[in-house]
Amino acid sequence: MTLVERMRSGLGRRGARTAASPAVLPAMLGVPVGLWQAVFFAAPLGFLVVVTFWTVKSFRLEPDFSLANWERILLSGPFQRALLYTFEISLLSAVLTLLVALPAAYTIAFRLPRWLRDLAVTLLIVPVFSSYMLRIYAWQIVLSPGGIINSVLRFLLDLELNLLGGQISLQVGLLTLTLPVAILILVMAFSGIDRTLIEAAENLGCRRVRVIWHVMLPSIRRAIALAGSTAFLLAFGDYISPLFMTGSKPPTLSILIVDTVKSGSQWPRASVVGVSMLVILALVFLAVAWAGRAGKGGK
Amino acid sequence: MTALRRASRLAQYGFLAGVFLFIATPMLVIVVFSFDANRFPTIPWGGFSLDWHIAVLQDQMVLDAFLHSLMVAGSTAAIATVLGFAAAYIDYRYLFRGKTLFILAVAIPPAVPASIMGMAMLAFLSRLGLFGSLTAIVVCHVAISTSFAMAIIRLKLNDFSRDLEPAAWNLGASPLATLLTVVLPFCRPALIAAFFLSAAVSFDEFLIAWFVGGTMETLPVRILNLLQGQVNPKINAIGTIVLLISVTLVLIAQHFTGLRAGGKRKA
Repeated sequence: MTLVERMRSGLGRRGARTAASPAVLPAMLGVPVGLWQAVFFAAPLGFLVVVTFWTVKSFRLEPDFSLANWERILLSGPFQRALLYTFEISLLSAVLTLLVALPAAYTIAFRLPRWLRDLAVTLLIVPVFSSYMLRIYAWQIVLSPGGIINSVLRFLLDLELNLLGGQISLQVGLLTLTLPVAILILVMAFSGIDRTLIEAAENLGCRRVRVIWHVMLPSIRRAIALAGSTAFLLAFGDYISPLFMTGSKPPTLSILIVDTVKSGSQWPRASVVGVSMLVILALVFLAVAWAGRAGKGGK
Repeated sequence: MTALRRASRLAQYGFLAGVFLFIATPMLVIVVFSFDANRFPTIPWGGFSLDWHIAVLQDQMVLDAFLHSLMVAGSTAAIATVLGFAAAYIDYRYLFRGKTLFILAVAIPPAVPASIMGMAMLAFLSRLGLFGSLTAIVVCHVAISTSFAMAIIRLKLNDFSRDLEPAAWNLGASPLATLLTVVLPFCRPALIAAFFLSAAVSFDEFLIAWFVGGTMETLPVRILNLLQGQVNPKINAIGTIVLLISVTLVLIAQHFTGLRAGGKRKA
């Protein structure tokens, strides 16, 4: 049975190659999309790298090969401070996201009836694609000095809290961005765990906590790494939460970029910031992927 | 023991309810206060009023931005769906050198922070003379949203039997005819989902649109500019309309993917 199936699929695949052999159809399909991504995605990023070596003379960009921009930005205090700050808040956000998302995803995957689980997934997909900026504005209304929480507090306790402008409000904003995606990734992972493993552990007398710790978490290790690094990536590149929740003080790297571009002439320096961010994100992803693989080898 | 277990269950449900409250609160705040008569949104509620919604409908800049957004989202969705289908089918059917790079070039763009992508696209497009138009916004939005279209359609193709196309070829259908009459109809729900999700992505995107659009504002860019000015009670009313549209687009897309918590729904 399996042999027959394998033969059939093998034949099908060989048939695919011969029947479509004039490479017209794949070219017809592939060239437009390939070109589009090359011209409007890869080329702009490549150009961004090139621009970092250019110079600005009397407000005009001029082709050059100068390392001055790199030196200027990488050694500057404001850039280093912004880099450190952005890294810290993103890391904190990734940790908070995982701490909230793991139990939430576990409850959705294992403790809800099917229809509620589907509803929960829908309620998580919607915010991923809708109006993040508006939702941050709404948090401003909720947290501001004359806002909803303070009105309630003043009425009940005659108390006023300074909620807007600090790390708390910033993390509330970032969680608004990262939580739905992270929970979705983890719900899919929890739902995909082989149930026989869980039953086996339970039959051998494992309590739920031990099942979670020794069976479930190890088997969704890669999804946890993905959820964490995605949260980090989203927070690291975010422009809206730092802008509206802390009033750009202190600035993050994204704010530096937008401000530099807005002010006009310093394209090469903004490009240096952008390219540095991309390098850091790539390094973080590689490190997390490597750690995930190392963990697997050690097991 | 059972009391402990019940307490643990209750704690889990309570925690989950809290998480969803956190996720839903901002949206509810926008909608509720768009009908508030007060200028500044706070408690107590100033009474029901449609003033701000009416004011929005009379704001020419908002209406223009809305029209721009519809045009950009519609064009983006149409192109991204076609390109996304092509990329998904190529990934499904062919093997060739550089395939990984090809797929990555389609898949990765949403992962690049929009601030960087917007700056890069602006620098490059202004060299091409494409800056400051709705076309500029569309080409960039397509580069971003084709990734989502490809993902949805590729997922659907996983369920497409590898034997069906060879069968059609053996019966004399050309590869193109097979693609149009066998593969495309099979993918229809995924194509619809891809269209609406791409539209949602474009309708919601503000940083790239702000960078490359110049004076051509889409609705989210208009909102961003309003937000950076003074407190404006119209924002909640615009927000309610935007939320309604985004949520509808995403719900339609989700309906047609059939994606559920347990992975794909079994037939």
